[in-house]
Amino acid sequence: MTDVTLKINGETRSASVPPETTLLKMLRENFNLTGAKLGCDVGDCGACTVIVDGMSVNSCLMLAGQLDGREVLTIEGLATHDRLHPIQKCYEDCGSLQCGFCGPGMIMSSKALLDTNPNPSVAQIRDALAGNLCRCTGYTKMIEAVQESAKVLRGTPARRAAKANG
Amino acid sequence: MAQKSNKQSKRMDTPMSEKSRPVRSKKSVGIGLPLEGSGTLRLPAVAKQVPFPIEALAPKVRQQTPAVGQRATRPDGRLHGLGQTKYIDDISFPGMLYCKIKRAGISSALIKKIDTSEALAMPGVMAIITGKDIPVNSYGPSIKDQPVLADDRVFHAGDGVAAVAAITEQIAQEALEKIKVEYEPMPAVYDPFEAMKDSAHKVHAPASNIYATKLIKKGDVEKGFRESYRIFEDTFSTQMVEHVPLEPHCSIAAWDANGRLTIHSTLGRITLGRTDMARTLQLPLSRIRMVATIVGGNFGGKNEITQEPALAVLSKITGRPVKGTFTRVEEFIATTTRHPINMHYKTGVSKDGRILARKVRLVLDGGAYCSWSETTLGKACILSPGPYNIEHVHAEAFVVYTNKTMTGAMRGFGAPQVCFAYESHMDDIAEALNIDPLEIRLRNAFHEGSSSPTGQVLHSVVVKDSLLQAAERFGWKEIR
Repeated sequence: MTDVTLKINGETRSASVPPETTLLKMLRENFNLTGAKLGCDVGDCGACTVIVDGMSVNSCLMLAGQLDGREVLTIEGLATHDRLHPIQKCYEDCGSLQCGFCGPGMIMSSKALLDTNPNPSVAQIRDALAGNLCRCTGYTKMIEAVQESAKVLRGTPARRAAKANG
Repeated sequence: MAQKSNKQSKRMDTPMSEKSRPVRSKKSVGIGLPLEGSGTLRLPAVAKQVPFPIEALAPKVRQQTPAVGQRATRPDGRLHGLGQTKYIDDISFPGMLYCKIKRAGISSALIKKIDTSEALAMPGVMAIITGKDIPVNSYGPSIKDQPVLADDRVFHAGDGVAAVAAITEQIAQEALEKIKVEYEPMPAVYDPFEAMKDSAHKVHAPASNIYATKLIKKGDVEKGFRESYRIFEDTFSTQMVEHVPLEPHCSIAAWDANGRLTIHSTLGRITLGRTDMARTLQLPLSRIRMVATIVGGNFGGKNEITQEPALAVLSKITGRPVKGTFTRVEEFIATTTRHPINMHYKTGVSKDGRILARKVRLVLDGGAYCSWSETTLGKACILSPGPYNIEHVHAEAFVVYTNKTMTGAMRGFGAPQVCFAYESHMDDIAEALNIDPLEIRLRNAFHEGSSSPTGQVLHSVVVKDSLLQAAERFGWKEIR
């Protein structure tokens, strides 16, 4: 068994898992964080995307043991109890998700992009979401949602409030 | 208000309400609706319509919010974005076991022996079953030709030969490698045209490889060709396509101590799945409860059961809930796909580009099992002449068994394939006759009251309007 202590969504957690356990499996089975999904298990679909130390990663390709002492942000760590993260809000408002299975991964990839690039071009958004597959809606509305949320995140509080009301 | 009371008094006046009342109480079927005729329930049960306040209370159609032009958001979109939607793989039950299925890896063979003893001896392996353990080992939406797990024959490489239930997914996976299966390879056929020959290997011997056909005839196609200015002939083909829903097939079966079976599943059609379960497990329908979970993409690929009877039997043996999740590889090899179709078109046209006669021959590669092939065949054949007024039509379609992954329902049931063919064909004809591709379609397209190749009179036909509007929007003339 491998002992891992890591920070998940700002909270220090630890687990003892078999050495072959992936980060995805540990999140889902040990910590019951089922937001990251298992779509392909080989890093093709991106449904399992989480942010490790500021970088978006496919959690199905990372072993739990590699996470010792590191910091992980999952989809569950975005919203507060009374407020959606602007990216989640824009994904909802733009109707970007249909079956929703790819949603958490998409949103985490979007978050990783907007953390480093507050004003991405469409090409840069496409590039950032290239590792996430969707089979229902297509990508247009997701790109729209990322552009919208970039505006909200850049905006002053007043503009943000105006956005929320409008 | 005035309207409403009017309606009510009208209802009172109808003699039916007085007469039917005693009958209704006798023949009610649980939900209190009367049965038609003799009292025997015909499925699907459509209750006779009774004027009931429901009708009076519903707003008139024109009073409802006009949906067109409104921006729609999904009511469940927020949960999806929060990652809180519980798809089936996010659900687990106490003491749950994990199932993995051993795939044949050989497309046509006789199973001589399956040795599960070494795998069964592994710590953590709770049960292993083969096709013999499934009470009625066949299912399918029309032809019941698909085994849950292979009996003594393997029909395609994705066939399951044994199913393992273990306390972790990893152990179940490792156990698969310890199951020893001896095969005797048999002849196989992969090409649908080969399979149609009399001399071909019969996939499901002694039955013919051609397992369904359809013929649509309208007018006299030979006469149409004789009257044509020019005749065009071409062959088109499409490839096999997998649905690739992001969420793999997954189910949880729990057989409780009362002998009731509960299946949580991603199936899109749980009522159909329930009858298949009742058949394969020889259980009365009332003993089976199907719970549909939120589906992470279906596209037609989750229309029928796959591993569920095996999970149920494993659950019965072990007395624990059993979850089975397909790997991405299994999604490709062991679930249905879109039919590859070979489409031969022969079209006779007049000098001004009107289609006078069209002869179509479709050969669908059905793979190893029927699944939804009959539906697909029918729809492909009916739609194959295209949305055009053609006086003389002859369309024939065949679906053929091959030793490949089975094909079934997928978005459009055969319509996208034939659309690709007739529209490509149309472009070729337009070019050869030197007519604008839009113009040739406008000359032939269905109009209000046109009749389809099967004789259906069509209403609300807006093909031409749509074409013209689309052409205007994207600047068809300017591009030319």
